[in-house]
Amino acid sequence: MTTSPFMTMNNIDKSFNGVSVLKKVTFHVAQGEIHALLGENGAGKSTLMNILGGVHPFDNGSIQINGEEVKITNPRAAQEYGISFIHQELNVVSDLRVYENMFLGSEIRTRYGFLKVDEMCQKTNEILAKLGVDIDPKEYVRNLETSYKQLIEISKALLHKSKLIIMDEPTTSLADHEVKRLFGLMNNLKQSGVSIIYISHKLKEIKEVCDRYTVLRDGELVGNGSMEEENLDTITKLMVGKSISQERLIQKHTFGSEVLEVNNLSSPGSFSNISFTLKKGEIAGFTGLAGDGRTELFESLFGYRKTYTGDIKINNQLTKIDHPRKAVKAGLGLVPKDRKENAIIKDLSVIHNMSLSSIGHFERMAFIQDKLEKERFQYYKEKLNIKVHNPRVTIDKLSGGNQQKVIIAKWLEVDTDIIIFDNPTQGIDIGAKQEIYHQIVSLAEQGKAVVILSSEAPEILKICHQIYVMFQGEITASFKGEEVTEDEIMSYATGSKREANEIG
Amino acid sequence: MADTNSLKEQKPQISPIKGKLSWLWSEYSVIIAFIIIFIAASVLSPRFLDMNNQLNILMQVSIIGIVALGMTIVMLSGGIDLSVGSVLVLVGVVTVLALNATGSIWIAVLTAFIVGSIAGFLNGIMVAKGRIASFIATLGMMAAARSIALYIAEGGSISGEVSGFTAIANNNLWIFDYPIIIFLIMTVLVYILMHKTRFGRHVYAIGSNEKAALLSAIRVDRIKIGVYSLAGLLVSIAAIIETSRLNSISSSSSGVQYELDAIAAVIIGGTRMTGGRGKIIGTFFGVLILGILNNMMNLMNVSPHLQGFVKGLIIIIAVVFQKRE
Ligand SMILES: Nc1ncnc2c1ncn2[C@@H]1O[C@H](COP(=O)(O)OP(=O)(O)OP(=O)(O)O)[C@@H](O)[C@H]1O
Ligand SMILES: [Mg+2]
Repeated sequence: MTTSPFMTMNNIDKSFNGVSVLKKVTFHVAQGEIHALLGENGAGKSTLMNILGGVHPFDNGSIQINGEEVKITNPRAAQEYGISFIHQELNVVSDLRVYENMFLGSEIRTRYGFLKVDEMCQKTNEILAKLGVDIDPKEYVRNLETSYKQLIEISKALLHKSKLIIMDEPTTSLADHEVKRLFGLMNNLKQSGVSIIYISHKLKEIKEVCDRYTVLRDGELVGNGSMEEENLDTITKLMVGKSISQERLIQKHTFGSEVLEVNNLSSPGSFSNISFTLKKGEIAGFTGLAGDGRTELFESLFGYRKTYTGDIKINNQLTKIDHPRKAVKAGLGLVPKDRKENAIIKDLSVIHNMSLSSIGHFERMAFIQDKLEKERFQYYKEKLNIKVHNPRVTIDKLSGGNQQKVIIAKWLEVDTDIIIFDNPTQGIDIGAKQEIYHQIVSLAEQGKAVVILSSEAPEILKICHQIYVMFQGEITASFKGEEVTEDEIMSYATGSKREANEIG
Repeated sequence: MADTNSLKEQKPQISPIKGKLSWLWSEYSVIIAFIIIFIAASVLSPRFLDMNNQLNILMQVSIIGIVALGMTIVMLSGGIDLSVGSVLVLVGVVTVLALNATGSIWIAVLTAFIVGSIAGFLNGIMVAKGRIASFIATLGMMAAARSIALYIAEGGSISGEVSGFTAIANNNLWIFDYPIIIFLIMTVLVYILMHKTRFGRHVYAIGSNEKAALLSAIRVDRIKIGVYSLAGLLVSIAAIIETSRLNSISSSSSGVQYELDAIAAVIIGGTRMTGGRGKIIGTFFGVLILGILNNMMNLMNVSPHLQGFVKGLIIIIAVVFQKRE
């Protein structure tokens, strides 16, 4: 390792529309290190990286690479300096094939300008194989699971011979074993002298893979150092100003009557023979690997998918739901995963995104009342600590985690009796995560039934009363929340164990 | 080490003001463009500012203006309606038939509304339920509606035989002709619909991210059908004015290229082709800009054959400017 930093950003200032977002931030990355960039939602991590990646210009400051001052005016320039960028939000083009996405803008051509499809497919295969992914390079991206889309994003960055790779929350949709593979790959890259900037809200990952860290808070540098010398608690304190308990949230309320009963639900290719029940006040968790069918299962319950067989009873009434609207009428809400694709209306303001599914709450004589909407938003803003300067700006101006909080607020406002959360804490910082868990628990205490889908076993373990593990579209095990360990969940999720007795 | 503060020249903190200005520009660029064109026109031609000329412009844009309001809604939802000109003619022809058959202006107007909405409804069904691209579905409607109008009127024009029908387009309130008033009222109503009601909110949501809109429990299909039906209804209002103005409608030459003028106004007004973004006010000023341009070219004796060129140029300039976000 060299002593002088490979890349430095000096005294970077940045403001959007007069609101200061970065204040004299200085940031160094050495050659061949994995550097964690940490901070709360809205601290300015993505903005700092967008500056380094040539997406946004800075107001003041300078950037040096190998000691020489550089001007990175656009993403292509960044690439020429050897910087690759995996963005926080997925940028794959759904209507293109896997290999076309991988080589978008850098297609391999023959002398006469024809595409060398075979070569591109082969290279795609090689890279994907390193990540342990087995997909056909000619498959259309729209047919793929989100975790695969994220892996394609990662592979795309690995394709170029980069000297510095920025990874802005690359693992939000990945399952544990995929994360492991990625870390292996990152360590190899590190050995060969590549530097990596790693942004994540999952401290466990950070501890595992990062060498040094830098913490931002409200756009200011508040600390940096070596990972080994620090324990996670101090870093947490630096980030959110308090320490966060990793303990299970203890809940001692009694359940009410049964609200949801699912019998033998099957959909070819997605899930089969799903049966379970849910009571008022109960929090059920569904976990498993990517592609285990849990998302499809609950999208079917919600009426988004219609090709399934089996019975759904809500409040003991056989219900046929073929549209999300009917689901909401029947008392079912779904906070979808992948906010960019499934939840964010990027042209609507923050407030209007919050009120979209519960517009009736804000109408008087069929007219929407701005004032009521605004007041209600203020309530959620405080409750979920949503960081937004002016809630009338479009939602895409918010940091990723804050967008997610708005989506959660949107469904809390709909206030259905049964709420399904699919990967609810995607991109949310550890402080706010805790707040959302408390919210969910208090929903349960009010008698709502809650379902949480997550591939993070610790999250499920933290708050769920009942845990269902899925593998290849089937429920392979079910446990009481306090009676199971992460390892046990893993062994069922990977299919190495199956419960002998059928559940139901 | 590279740690020392780089002594770069400190730029003065102009960013707040610059931010405000760029915000003003992005929100109101069409209004600013309108003011510039308005001033330029008054400098270029002394007759431009004449009150009669001003009212004349408003009168001339009212029909396209009403059509463009509907077009805005369709385009906000992420679609397009190429059938407006043909549907206008069909509505006009059927309305005159109904008028002559019954002698009742009210029945004629009601017929117009029904025919216009049904044509729009069919467009909506094709787009929402049939999953046909709006461009194709309304292209079909465009051909079909014109053809039926030609068939009914045997290729020629038909005239009203009931006195009083012409009053709709030719009477006035104080100095304002009825079409101007109808256009203004429609603008206000559509504005309220799009910005103050859930229908409008849902249209924006669908145009911006249809999948997320569906997962937000919005009845996407119904809203789409509503959007096209409403556009059809607005076309029928325009058709009544058009027919009433000369007390006749020509099945072959009325309404030709109205879709282009309407789309042009919507685009100049800043609505995004792919939906989700745009404003009714923008379309209103887009319509006025087109009206002023037409008016100026007439006042300055520009050959009618060249007028299309100028219009085309303006549209492209408008889009280029809006690209810079
Ligand atoms: N294009 C933009 N226009 C206006 N404000 C913006 C824009 N992008 C970011 N911001 C603001 O800058 C601040 C920092 O955002 P940034 O995305 O850098 O946060 P972050 O640290 O990446 O947070 P997260 O963990 O939630 O992703 C936020 O308050 C956000 O609202
Ligand atoms: Mg971010």
